[in-house]
Amino acid sequence: METALPAPLRRAYAILVAGTVALALVAGCGGAQTKAERGAALFRTCTPCHGDGGGGDTELRAPAIAGLPEWYVARELDKFRHNVRGAHPDDMEGHRMRPMARTLYPPGDLDAVAAHVAALPPVPSAPTFTGGDLANGQLRFSTLCATCHGPDGRGNAATGGPRLVGQWDWYMVAQLRKFQSGMRGTHPADTLGAQMRAMSLTLEDSTAMHNVVAYIKTLPTR
Amino acid sequence: MLEFFNPTASSYSGDVDSLVWLVTILVGIGFFAAEAMLFWLIFRFRRRDGVAARYVTGKEKHLKAWINVPHAIVLVFDVIIVAAAIRVWVIIKQTLPPADRTIHIMSQQWAWTFADPGPDGVLDTADDIRTTDELHMEVGKTYHFTLESRDVVHSFFVPAFRLKQDAMPGRVYTGWVKPTRVGSYDIACTQICGIGHGVMGAKLVVEDHAEHVAWMQEHSSQTAVATSDAATAAGAPTDSATTAPATVPATTK
Repeated sequence: METALPAPLRRAYAILVAGTVALALVAGCGGAQTKAERGAALFRTCTPCHGDGGGGDTELRAPAIAGLPEWYVARELDKFRHNVRGAHPDDMEGHRMRPMARTLYPPGDLDAVAAHVAALPPVPSAPTFTGGDLANGQLRFSTLCATCHGPDGRGNAATGGPRLVGQWDWYMVAQLRKFQSGMRGTHPADTLGAQMRAMSLTLEDSTAMHNVVAYIKTLPTR
Repeated sequence: MLEFFNPTASSYSGDVDSLVWLVTILVGIGFFAAEAMLFWLIFRFRRRDGVAARYVTGKEKHLKAWINVPHAIVLVFDVIIVAAAIRVWVIIKQTLPPADRTIHIMSQQWAWTFADPGPDGVLDTADDIRTTDELHMEVGKTYHFTLESRDVVHSFFVPAFRLKQDAMPGRVYTGWVKPTRVGSYDIACTQICGIGHGVMGAKLVVEDHAEHVAWMQEHSSQTAVATSDAATAAGAPTDSATTAPATVPATTK
């Protein structure tokens, strides 16, 4: 009984096998990505919470990150990765961010995504609450915040203070509360966080927090 | 053999393994018997020159036996498996032996946080030890646990304990476990809970009495002072910080 396949079928079978092996090899090797391409690819992991443009999401408690300085994004990602930030038992938002930062373990990934975030155009964030004593807020800002975050609130790389203008007001209030409660700034390795925690504790109550944040929202973003 | 792949570290992990073995053996008997019969029939009634195929209706008594006897055997196997499963279910889920200690387990996207009662052995007191990503237990002690979720459905899974319990938000689950072997084991979430589900792991450390006391003494002294100012601004979204207790012991991390 003849069991061998006809010649055309044998050729087709050989082509199919060779093609499958070639595809597997190509997929396994992958193409070399530039840092920008890698950063853009990694940023897709951030968009479910921070939005396509990095503008943040109030309902998901995700801050605006577009256009934040590269050194700041890289520093905070590194803190999240190593449980210096976001590991407090009550820090729900931190618990969501920490595992995301942990996925950036391959060398260069953290820097690539930080560079991509820094290159994104800042997204304006509208105030979510009204009121506040702007004069009092300005006074507290100039005496407490301006040294590290800059008199214009645009950050200061030398002191490690990130840009505040353009950030969501609810996020800034939430972080002040986290610093005050010890959710942030209490890890032994978080020296800058400890400084910020000390500053936050000088704001005597919620009204003082909202005054200073309301003033920050009046600062020009450009 | 199961222990070769996955250590057993709780008083009931052996019961779960025995059940897995029972199911494997009984189902295995059926599987291999059916496959052996199938291939034997294929060989026995293979094509032969001059022998025509014959349609068998299966109505005769001796042919029906080929269905009825295996059917009866499978039913007996099922009854044995169900009885054994109920026994294990009663041990793990329906029995709550007196507790030496009670801990609290909180799940949220995407971390496990734990509260140990600390040196006084009573939860919700000032010396509670709250940790993230790491649970410490003393070997040989019976623990009760309460399990909750802050957001979506999670599932608390400790393979070495053979323990798995879903956590629906809004419900408080009570269970128990008695660690029997010192060591470090994995804790995982086995309910897809969002983009970070795959990295929602934690570490379980089972230690002897001296090590556990040393751990408690080290961590019950770490406290972070929290302010009581949790006022919410008009119009501002509520922050999780507002739910922080007045005194928050630092995480072990």
